[in-house]
Amino acid sequence: MKISLWVNGVRRDLEVPPLKRLLDVLREDLGLVGAKEGCGEGECGACAVILDGRLVNSCLLPAYRAHGRVVRTIEGLGTPESPDPVQSAFVVEGAVQCGYCIPGLVMASRALLDEEASPTRPRIREALAGNLCRCTGYERIIRAVERAGQTPARVCGTEPSPDPASEPEASPGDEVVVHVPGSLREACEMLGRGGVTVIGGATDLGVLLHEEIVAPRAVLDLSRVAELHGVRREEGALVIGAATTYADLLRDPDVARDLPCLHAAVRTVGAPAIQSLGTLGGNLVNGSPGADAVPPLLALGARIRLMSGAGGREVAADAFFTGYRATVRRPDELVAAIIVPLPAAGTRQSFRKAGTRRAQAIAKVNLAACARVQDGALRDVRLAAGSVGPTVLLLRRAMAALEGGRVADLERLAGAVAAAARDEVVPIDDVRSTADYRRAVTGNLVARFVLSLGEAPFL
Amino acid sequence: MPAPSDHSPVGAPMPRLDAWGKVTGATRFLPDDPRPDAWLGAAVRSPLPHARLVSVAKTASFPAEAVLLTAPDLPCANLVAMVREDLPLLAADEVRFATQPVALVAAPDRATLKAALAAVAVELEELPAVLDLDAALRGEGPVWGADNVVAEYRIDRGDPDAAFASAATVVEGTYFTGYQEHMYIEPQGIVATPRPDGGVEILGSLQCPYYVHNAMKRALGLDDDRVVVRQSPTGGAFGGKEDYPSILALQAAVLALRCGQPVAMIYERREDVACTTKRHPSRTRYRSAFDRDGELLAIDVDLVLDAGAYTTLSPVVLSRGVLHVAGPYRVPHARIRGRTVATHTPPNGAFRGFGVPQAAFACERQMDRAARRLGLDPAELRRRNLVRDGDTFVFGQTLRPGMAAADLVLERVLERSGYELRRREARAFNAGGGPLRRGVGVTLTMHGGGFTGDGEDRIKGKVAVRLDPDGVVTLLVSSVEMGQGAATVLPQIAAEALGVPVGRIRYHQPDTSAVPDSGPTVASRTTMVVGRILVAACRQLADKARAFAGDKAADPLLAAGRAGLTATAVYEPDPDINWDQSTMHGDAYQGWSWAAAVAEVEVDVDTMEVRPVRLTHVVEIGRAVNPVLCVGQVEGGALQGLAWGHLEEMKLRDGRYWNDRMSTYIIPTSLDAPDFDVELAELPSPRGPFGAKGLGELPLNAGAPALAAAVEDALDIEVFEAPVTPEILLARRREVRR
Repeated sequence: MKISLWVNGVRRDLEVPPLKRLLDVLREDLGLVGAKEGCGEGECGACAVILDGRLVNSCLLPAYRAHGRVVRTIEGLGTPESPDPVQSAFVVEGAVQCGYCIPGLVMASRALLDEEASPTRPRIREALAGNLCRCTGYERIIRAVERAGQTPARVCGTEPSPDPASEPEASPGDEVVVHVPGSLREACEMLGRGGVTVIGGATDLGVLLHEEIVAPRAVLDLSRVAELHGVRREEGALVIGAATTYADLLRDPDVARDLPCLHAAVRTVGAPAIQSLGTLGGNLVNGSPGADAVPPLLALGARIRLMSGAGGREVAADAFFTGYRATVRRPDELVAAIIVPLPAAGTRQSFRKAGTRRAQAIAKVNLAACARVQDGALRDVRLAAGSVGPTVLLLRRAMAALEGGRVADLERLAGAVAAAARDEVVPIDDVRSTADYRRAVTGNLVARFVLSLGEAPFL
Repeated sequence: MPAPSDHSPVGAPMPRLDAWGKVTGATRFLPDDPRPDAWLGAAVRSPLPHARLVSVAKTASFPAEAVLLTAPDLPCANLVAMVREDLPLLAADEVRFATQPVALVAAPDRATLKAALAAVAVELEELPAVLDLDAALRGEGPVWGADNVVAEYRIDRGDPDAAFASAATVVEGTYFTGYQEHMYIEPQGIVATPRPDGGVEILGSLQCPYYVHNAMKRALGLDDDRVVVRQSPTGGAFGGKEDYPSILALQAAVLALRCGQPVAMIYERREDVACTTKRHPSRTRYRSAFDRDGELLAIDVDLVLDAGAYTTLSPVVLSRGVLHVAGPYRVPHARIRGRTVATHTPPNGAFRGFGVPQAAFACERQMDRAARRLGLDPAELRRRNLVRDGDTFVFGQTLRPGMAAADLVLERVLERSGYELRRREARAFNAGGGPLRRGVGVTLTMHGGGFTGDGEDRIKGKVAVRLDPDGVVTLLVSSVEMGQGAATVLPQIAAEALGVPVGRIRYHQPDTSAVPDSGPTVASRTTMVVGRILVAACRQLADKARAFAGDKAADPLLAAGRAGLTATAVYEPDPDINWDQSTMHGDAYQGWSWAAAVAEVEVDVDTMEVRPVRLTHVVEIGRAVNPVLCVGQVEGGALQGLAWGHLEEMKLRDGRYWNDRMSTYIIPTSLDAPDFDVELAELPSPRGPFGAKGLGELPLNAGAPALAAAVEDALDIEVFEAPVTPEILLARRREVRR
């Protein structure tokens, strides 16, 4: 496949296998070996580069996705003679030890400072959470970012602009056919012909491709379908395009204001370099019971809009999943949008996640909860939990136990609702946790939500 | 202490010399250089932990150009020399651990290699496996020797039985620690290139060039000059690249010799986690006798380490554990028994701390348990029992004046962290209810720098320096840079010794054809031991330069630059060191470094997630050669300890590591790390260069026990294990409530 991209300000025209990882294109085709492979699954961030202004893991991204786009790597950032302030600060603060993670960490720091000149320590920690360092304990790195924030970055000429309209050009030798449609109608048509694997953000698929667990002959990439991007306000609902990335969702003021439980959940997905790629639609279609963005959709009573060449239909989010990694989506259908009704005024929303760690973590248990208080009674109670069954579960018995309950009676209700929740979840033991823990923590988180309804508004 | 300046490089917080290459992406690690001519090698591994190896054979689809080597095909002795020579390069008749190599394959490219690996048929007859410590201690199998005991050490002092009989209080506890995976961000990698003279050259990410050199010589029967080992810039090691590279280098070497091509073996993450060594899991039974005032009378300790299936470095790890298990305390009577036993699991190996983190965890948990029983604050109990100058450790080493700093670091950390105030604030916070609990824990540990006992005298590290025509002095040492800072600190020491700026010193990338054997880069010995030999070499060189250039030369090194001067120095033991290896008695370590830490944690009682909020760490390390690098060592090591204490859990399933990915073996992110506050206390030691002592491993010892103490303080339940996971805490809290 012929692709053209801007790398460190220079246009590069390349002939590459379409699904070759951007990391390998940089290292092998361009000789830019600053980005490293530490895990090959988007976990360590040693491969992180900046793509159109956002940090991404280049080990997850197929080469064709870089076509028409602007890539910055460590090699383009600065030299000892003319360094970027991040590089100088890393040197001066002693933020470097073995150095293997450092190109990724420098790029992550640059991406943060480009967006926010003087970040707080908690913001720095959050922005670097997808870049694992085993040597430093992070303290010197955080101090280096604080220091670098005091110096503006050099402006090095005009940055090229990405060219979102152009399409990569297939070559006769390509082993994989890549469709990158620009409209929803085209996308549905191509899907209708069958035989294609749909790619959203590639954060899961990128790992499966690399490990040769899947080997598609043709892929259908949704990243350039304009209708699938962005958040719109529409008749009492927010309509979220399925290919909207977590990074875009996090920066959407309507989502932050009206759907705080979704905002909070999205913030816990992976770390920034994953959030730049991963999409809400992908999180749904992937069907993982641990998907962090899904419990809020169930709790908020969202509907999923499916489209095919034959037309569209809507399904309630809690009816979308039929079993472990199985959904009602037919092979000819795309998830086009997620329609989230705006919660009634006064609705309390909460999202909690007990993960394997505080970022870049799969949930052991997560819980999204919504309810409102009217005339001293609880109304519109919705509770949804992940990683406690084959799909994300709506906790119907716990909801029933709480619906209509009196605010004056929260202490007793908390116990009853938690017991109902513990009874209805069906968790398993796996590599991350135990069924016992998951069951107990589901109850605890539900109880905590119930008790919080008696407190001042939160989250 | 003199203020740092250009001419007193020791003590200067200068940036590391390799920093710019690393922050600009210019540093080339092993996977960064293209090697179009290199073949790729891989191992065929046993899926079973214990089996009879019936056959290994090519099937019809095995690619013609690929190479298969089984044990009978090996062109060399089937062994990887370490402490003993029991580890075969390839299993011959019996497989003793899952992932054990049974054959090696090489092919010119990745696709052919994959096809070849898929075309090897391995027939195994499964045998019962001994996978847990108790079965191993009962002698089941046996996996190794007659009774599975790979090594055993004892320390006896005084009359512990009488002391226990007279004690006011006896405290007993059993403590467990789990595996720990190094998770250096650069996986293991080796490239072996055959030489025209029948020898082989190794380039790799490794800690100990001469360990690899020795293993190659032993197995391949080659003389010194026909084996060359070079170190590539190494992306983290932490002990994980101490022992394993010998195995990987031999695999690559036999393949390279067989196919007459360079062979690269560079692991992807999953193979690295699944197959390389881990920190030894441990179980320690600890009994302590106290008098009425809370003074220790005696201890009775049984420390057991899981060695895995072969010896590797386990006896050495055990001896260090045994020597540290009484901790920095005065113990008049002691019975200590340490054993490392074999199981049908992958061999465990070196990991920063090398047996001490396990020992320190048990010792410090026991002190906290005792404090509760005695009704004393944990800091006060430590204060009453810590060793001071003039005290004698259980193994007979008397601390000479200026050697003990346990009281110094403890008092400093209590003051610096505001320990008492923090404890009170945590109590007040916890009384308020809500889902969060706060806790504050203190711990006191120590670490002996350099090899145990007479180890340095036996290894006789050697250092050379060479004066180049430009007046720059090149350091020829086998101590590697792996992130810890040797390539900056050693030049600082040399510059100080020569009285020149650091810019006049060049560090030579370790290469056995160019540098002498200064010993391995392990045991917190590089600064203290190699640095000291380096000073001797530098002083000789300075003398030679002055002799050549004359007393009047303003810059004798520059004036003598063309004279081709070199100087070599060998480790010289101090005459006043006494050690008896057979009884483990005497001056176990020449320089003790000391650390005290206060951990503050927040625990969410709904999920039992533990968040370390702050770690205050005071270390006494003699002279800090480069304070910025020292602080970095403390913070990084401490986080590894903290994470081992609650996040890092390696699980075995059917004898294999279950969570063999970065997404399942959990190391901390920036959000999991606490704020660090580090203080370097400096009591210059006569044993190290310009007063320096060992540092690298020390900070790992404090993390886990400090965290456990803080969790205990937050939740008012007892913690016996590292890692103490949310799952364990939830279950324990439930038990306590019943």
